[in-house]
Amino acid sequence: MTQEITFWVLAVIAVCGALLAVWRRNLIHGVFALMIFFAALAGLFLLLLAEFIAAVQILVYIGAVGVLLIFAIMLTERVTGDDGRRVTARGWLWGLAAAVAMFVFLLLPAIQKADLSQTTQPIKPSVEALGHQLMNPYVVTLEVLALLLTAALIGAVAVAQGAQEKEDEADDS
Amino acid sequence: MSLDLIKDILIATVPLLVIFPSLFAFTTWLERKTLARIQNRIGPNKVGIPCTRISLFGLGQPAADGIKMLFKEDIVPNGADRLFHLLAPILALIPAMLVLCFLPLEFPWSKLMSAKSGVQAFLLDGAVIFFFAITGLNTLAIFMAGWASRNKYSLLGGMRAIAQMVSYEIPLVLSAVVVVMSVGSLNAADIAKAQEGWNWFVLTPWGLVAFIIFFIAALAETNRSPFDLPEAESELIAGYFTEYSGFKFALFFLGEYISMFAISGLAVVLFLGGGAGPGVAAFPWIAVVWFLAKIFGLILVMIWLRGTLPRLRVDQLMAFAWKFLLPLSILNILVAGFARFIPQDSLFPKVVVWLVSFGVLYAAAWGLNKLNRADVKPREYKYAE
Repeated sequence: MTQEITFWVLAVIAVCGALLAVWRRNLIHGVFALMIFFAALAGLFLLLLAEFIAAVQILVYIGAVGVLLIFAIMLTERVTGDDGRRVTARGWLWGLAAAVAMFVFLLLPAIQKADLSQTTQPIKPSVEALGHQLMNPYVVTLEVLALLLTAALIGAVAVAQGAQEKEDEADDS
Repeated sequence: MSLDLIKDILIATVPLLVIFPSLFAFTTWLERKTLARIQNRIGPNKVGIPCTRISLFGLGQPAADGIKMLFKEDIVPNGADRLFHLLAPILALIPAMLVLCFLPLEFPWSKLMSAKSGVQAFLLDGAVIFFFAITGLNTLAIFMAGWASRNKYSLLGGMRAIAQMVSYEIPLVLSAVVVVMSVGSLNAADIAKAQEGWNWFVLTPWGLVAFIIFFIAALAETNRSPFDLPEAESELIAGYFTEYSGFKFALFFLGEYISMFAISGLAVVLFLGGGAGPGVAAFPWIAVVWFLAKIFGLILVMIWLRGTLPRLRVDQLMAFAWKFLLPLSILNILVAGFARFIPQDSLFPKVVVWLVSFGVLYAAAWGLNKLNRADVKPREYKYAE
């Protein structure tokens, strides 16, 4: 009973947050609405006893993705949030078609296949199990990901350095 | 929903809601008093018990301040985003209060009143990860406040807060990884239990380095001096809370202090043995006293640093995080890993492992310091020859 009430409360918050994130014209409002959605999603994960995923949801999506979005907005002129400009959305019909197709061909089969009747037992120490999985069968994937991220980091530094050198040259001349 | 559940929830949360805000009141007095002594002043010493001449070293000052804050006018700037301006101080307090639940504090009365042994608000396996995830939200509230005030100084303060958080969260988490790796658990209670019998992590070379990095990063995360750039009053008026007055300002103040308690509490769990101390075996309730005493020790150091150190510049702040703390904490993880998994037999006795790891860490810190200083030229005086 308690769980059901919690689920519905979180679900309503999540849907409202997602809708607000799309509808708000004010970009900062949109970002914070998106964060509400992420937080509600973390609560849903917690309800499923997947506490590690809930923590990572907060850490990565609110702490990193959300902050990145704020950073990006702060670097533009729209930091004040006023936005009189309207983007006329052409081809919204195609977007709708794509969304419906996504639902029918990807989500619906997945929902139908999932066995919703049984409640699974919580994996006892979920963090530990995850650690063993990451270190044993998926260790190569983990290493490749680490290499990719390091490459991205070095690439970002290289790009930033290149821009700075050009600026310095421009200053000298 | 059963009655027992509600009772357990109340037993777990009410002490946190009562104890930490009252400690906050005491800490504001302590901070003002200590800073005053450092600056050769007396500090608040008049307010005591009302209608008497008893002043009690000015201990009534926080109550007077609180009442003053309540009665002040709440001013919202004309151009401000009213909703966000209202929400930001509340949002600043929520994560700070929430993370207190992850500290393994076992109050003596909780065992008497509840059927469950040692009621704790959240007993999670991944408590440490949750702690870091939720502490980070604090900064969003600061940005929200800065943005909603529609004031350039506030906005600059908010932007600085976010840049600072992104930089210092990495050394903060990486220094905690050392402890998590050595214990093999993310559970706060397990980590505290693993340090019983003076096996505190701060007493090992890698633990000491991790503790120092953690403490510095924690200062930056809680916007304490010398890292209080988001509210630098000499540059930004009051930074993100320039446009806040009355009780909203008090909420920011409360949130800042509660997060100081929370992050000091995490430092106590990770490095200073949690509630371990003399007399705990005989009287288990002393553990709470030790825990709070250790938190207060760390808070006193924070106050001392605030009275001693000047504020950093923005570039110094960033360079310190990325060029000094980050490499050192990564190396520290490596050293701690070696120390943990090297076979400790006659060939490598504990003393040798400790000495070698201490030497490596010390050399690394020295070398990083040298490398960072290489591009600092001696100051040239243009006009004061």
